[in-house]
Amino acid sequence: MKAAPFEHHEPTTVDEAVSLLASVDEATVLAGGQSQVPLMRFRLSTPETVVDINGIEELNYVREADGHLRIGALTRHADVEESDLVADRYGSFADAAPEIGDPQIRNRGTVAGSIAQADPKGDWGSVVLAHDGELVARGPDGRRTIPADEFFLFPYETDLAGDELLTEVRVPAAREREGSAYRKLKRKVGDYAMAGVATRVILDGDGTIETAGIGLTSVDLTNSRAAEAEAVLEGEAPSADVFREAAEAAREECNPETDEHGDAEYKRRMVGVLTQRALADAVERAGIPVERGRAAQ
Amino acid sequence: MSSDEEFHQAADEGPQPEEHAGHGRGGMGDDVTRKEDKRFITGRGEYVDDVKKPGMLHCELVRSPHAHARIETIRTDPAMEVDGVVAVLTAEDLLAYDLATMPTLMEDTQDVLVNDKVKFQSQAVAAVVAEDRYAATDGADRVQVSYDTLDAVVDAGEAMAEDAPLIRDDVEGQEDNHIFTWETGDENATREAFEDLPVTVEEDMHYKRIHPAPIETCGCVADFDPGKDKLTVHMTSQAPHAHRTLFSMVSGIPEHKIRIVSPDVGGGFGNKVPIYPGYVVAAAASYVLEQPVKWIEERSENLQTTSFARDYEMTGRVAATEDGEIRAVDVDVLANHGAYNAAAQPSKFPAGFFKIFTGSYDIENAYAHMDAVYTNTAPGGIAYRCSFRVTEAIYLIERMVKVLADELDMDPAEVRRRNFIPKEAFPYESTTGWEYDSGDYHKALDLALENVDYEALREEQQRRLENDDDTLLGIGLSTFTEIVGAGPGKQCDIAGVEMFDSCEVRVHPTGKATVRIGVQTQGQGHETTFAQIVAEELGMDVDDITVEHGDTDTEPYGLGTYASRSTPVAGAATAVASRKVRDKARTIAANELEADPDDVEWDRESGAFHVSGAPEQSVTMTEVAAGAYMNSPPGEEPGLEAVNYYDPPNMTFPFGAYVCVVEIDRETGDLDIRKFHAVDDCGKRINPMIVEGQIHGGLAQGLGTALMEEITYDDLGNNTAGDFMNYLLPTAMEIPEFETDYTVTPSPHHPIGAKGVGESPTVGSPPAVVNAVVDAMSHAGVTHLDMPLTSDVVWDALDDAGLARDPADRLSVGGPGEEGTADD
Repeated sequence: MKAAPFEHHEPTTVDEAVSLLASVDEATVLAGGQSQVPLMRFRLSTPETVVDINGIEELNYVREADGHLRIGALTRHADVEESDLVADRYGSFADAAPEIGDPQIRNRGTVAGSIAQADPKGDWGSVVLAHDGELVARGPDGRRTIPADEFFLFPYETDLAGDELLTEVRVPAAREREGSAYRKLKRKVGDYAMAGVATRVILDGDGTIETAGIGLTSVDLTNSRAAEAEAVLEGEAPSADVFREAAEAAREECNPETDEHGDAEYKRRMVGVLTQRALADAVERAGIPVERGRAAQ
Repeated sequence: MSSDEEFHQAADEGPQPEEHAGHGRGGMGDDVTRKEDKRFITGRGEYVDDVKKPGMLHCELVRSPHAHARIETIRTDPAMEVDGVVAVLTAEDLLAYDLATMPTLMEDTQDVLVNDKVKFQSQAVAAVVAEDRYAATDGADRVQVSYDTLDAVVDAGEAMAEDAPLIRDDVEGQEDNHIFTWETGDENATREAFEDLPVTVEEDMHYKRIHPAPIETCGCVADFDPGKDKLTVHMTSQAPHAHRTLFSMVSGIPEHKIRIVSPDVGGGFGNKVPIYPGYVVAAAASYVLEQPVKWIEERSENLQTTSFARDYEMTGRVAATEDGEIRAVDVDVLANHGAYNAAAQPSKFPAGFFKIFTGSYDIENAYAHMDAVYTNTAPGGIAYRCSFRVTEAIYLIERMVKVLADELDMDPAEVRRRNFIPKEAFPYESTTGWEYDSGDYHKALDLALENVDYEALREEQQRRLENDDDTLLGIGLSTFTEIVGAGPGKQCDIAGVEMFDSCEVRVHPTGKATVRIGVQTQGQGHETTFAQIVAEELGMDVDDITVEHGDTDTEPYGLGTYASRSTPVAGAATAVASRKVRDKARTIAANELEADPDDVEWDRESGAFHVSGAPEQSVTMTEVAAGAYMNSPPGEEPGLEAVNYYDPPNMTFPFGAYVCVVEIDRETGDLDIRKFHAVDDCGKRINPMIVEGQIHGGLAQGLGTALMEEITYDDLGNNTAGDFMNYLLPTAMEIPEFETDYTVTPSPHHPIGAKGVGESPTVGSPPAVVNAVVDAMSHAGVTHLDMPLTSDVVWDALDDAGLARDPADRLSVGGPGEEGTADD
């Protein structure tokens, strides 16, 4: 670690952290540090002040309350991975957590930190988008709730102001006939996604898809939402043909680029494949059996 | 018997351990636990970065963000203002000491710090020396360099174009980017064979640029002691003595006033054979400042600036009879050498051992033509865990055999059998001029195929095709021959020093021994293996032997460890030195036994001498050692030690037969290596456990090459794989459980019948993987895919061949037969 010199603050309450952020220029929040520390070590990020929130215990939680699944800003990926609540009711979160980085990264990195980093290759943004989630921020003017759809602006750029702290990630609590999933392709263990797809479906009484959510990873400037594909699904009975049609829509509306993770056309095709797979998982978790054929994928 | 006689009879009459586990004291064939592991496992290894000296300064290099640019000005004053910065060096400062450039091993001249023009991204342009590494980095940030950027060329083919930017305007008479043309074999005979034969195949393939990426990066601590006028350099060196000679030649410091210490080294793989600018700068700074100076590379510096491997664009052509007999092979190569010709290969041939491209096959006509070019990329072309371009050569021929088999619709195992050099033909003179020492290729292939139940795999593959399965099965073979153990000294040298190697054995009065070797370990297990050779030859317990290496003040001169040369060369020296000690020990034993030396016999099993016909009258080596110091025979020098410098009469030719079985996901192109089976033959195995470990490690690296590793550049010359986020190393998660087996075909010219082994798996495994992936798709006309076989590359091939599938093709929602299924 050969970072440029910086000041390090360790607040123990959210109020303290927020007032610190408001009082200095060029402050950076440090949670798990799995993106921020490498950036500082390469001197790509040279903040004058680092507000280290690791001592704010009140931000460490995964719980259901007031109609939401709530994840505090200090909750590590591993906490989500090991949560029984998540394993029982939130398939997409349970799928995504173990796909992130490696065990060391998951033990240290946080869900909220990853979302605030807003790397289009991050996994959590897609999951939260598929679930119609929200991000809760605290600033000098108090608390603000930002819909996930409005949160991600550009690569590494969010709707958060410089003096705001992201305190909670939340999605609507899972309903009776709801299922969700996350599928990711990566070059090797620990790598970011070449492409990733989060799905969420809510079925009505006769098994028709009432609500569908699809979030995409690594195939646009930000984590993105496949609204056309969602529209294809809603009001339809789930079937392989409907999945194929939704996948075609998702392929059309994504916007991948060729980079070291793979070529654009491949990523586009994989959005289709992963959409079909993740829809099959989500529908099955919502209560309709799915036969997967010989490949058992 | 004299040691010379023993040397010649070694392979026949020497120890024949096969699978007999030594003599119980840790000799040949014993799985002795590695002596070096205690310190590594308990965190007590001492690497270069662990070396700390009083008053030690730290050096950080300022590197160019551009790949091709003329330096206009360098402002160092702002850096000097940083607290703790002691000095800032540029090429101008080095010029005063004649150290601004350094020679490469290929007779090129490379900038230490750029004087005029940057030729690849991250080339060093200045150095900051400071009291700690943080101040050094702060200082480096403040050095102001203004550049006039030039067009860069990174592709070898584009570098050959007429309008390509001239990279080496510093080389007199250089008007383009061409470095050399090299050819071997008989062009006319090969051309005629192609005209005459009914079957010819051709394939273009690029063995991509990869990097050895040792876990420990390069670095040094240079310490010039003005009191003794002596420069001591602790450095990450695979060849400490050769580096001492080169340091002396470059710096003008007399060789006896230079000490190179290579302490524990965390992986080399060829990356630590060359001299890098950081070493020279640190040494120069220490000389000028009269303080120790440490320079340690960061990961990205290692990946972006130190020697890469491969980067050969090859076209292979094979001509054969209709029943698969290969009669001619023809190769055309375009070699990307980067900004300098700095390949670390000591052979007399500009393309190293590439001329072994006929591989394991008896091919009467062969010809290769090669052009090497400069590009705006990091220099290199080292032997990454291989012997000087044998990897590229074997990849080419192993791929071409598969291409031919597919063309003829023959089983690739059968094509191999039909063309193998037969066992009876050894020693075998190859068309391109090698003498292969020994081999039994049929035996190795048969064993491998039997172990994997090849017939059953082929049946399964057929069954899956008939069922239109969602995963494809591919079976890849590689029956490679390695060429290792450089010298002979007349064929290979470093800066003129012939490539022998050495060992000194000293037996102490209490019967314990210190063994010093000219080679140096970076993880290969020398401290154990070489002790076992001595234990075998002298009947001692392996625990009573310490092996020292890596310090030029104490070790005999050696050429270093790379190209699997340690066992073939220094291992031979160790056996011969031990036998010299045993010869003298016989005289001492005779004195102790009051017998004539001619009546004294050596007994391997007991590790003792006895009077012929009277085994009860014996003395052990411990007793002999005591006699050598406390009761030396009249007319005999006291003491018990010997040195041997061994110039091998030939290379050794280890070989193997590998089978790779892959499953390919037709929806994503994702590869699963279901099985990897490796049969290796490295002659006599000294420590089978260490041999297996070497094979596992080499297979992991070979699979990394095949599946994911690649150094890439964009059109501006930016290295786009210059860190471990994008230069992908395989982990335990990507590597299958390896199955290994072996045959033993001793080398007839090596004192203990051993060949090298560490690099066979890196050479042999990439073609096995590519052949397997191609095999899965060859029924649909796929003949070749370039590495790395990432899922997008595989999927593109699936898609082009009409083999790609969608999940919806196999999904049915609501269970089979219900409404809304895929069958609707």
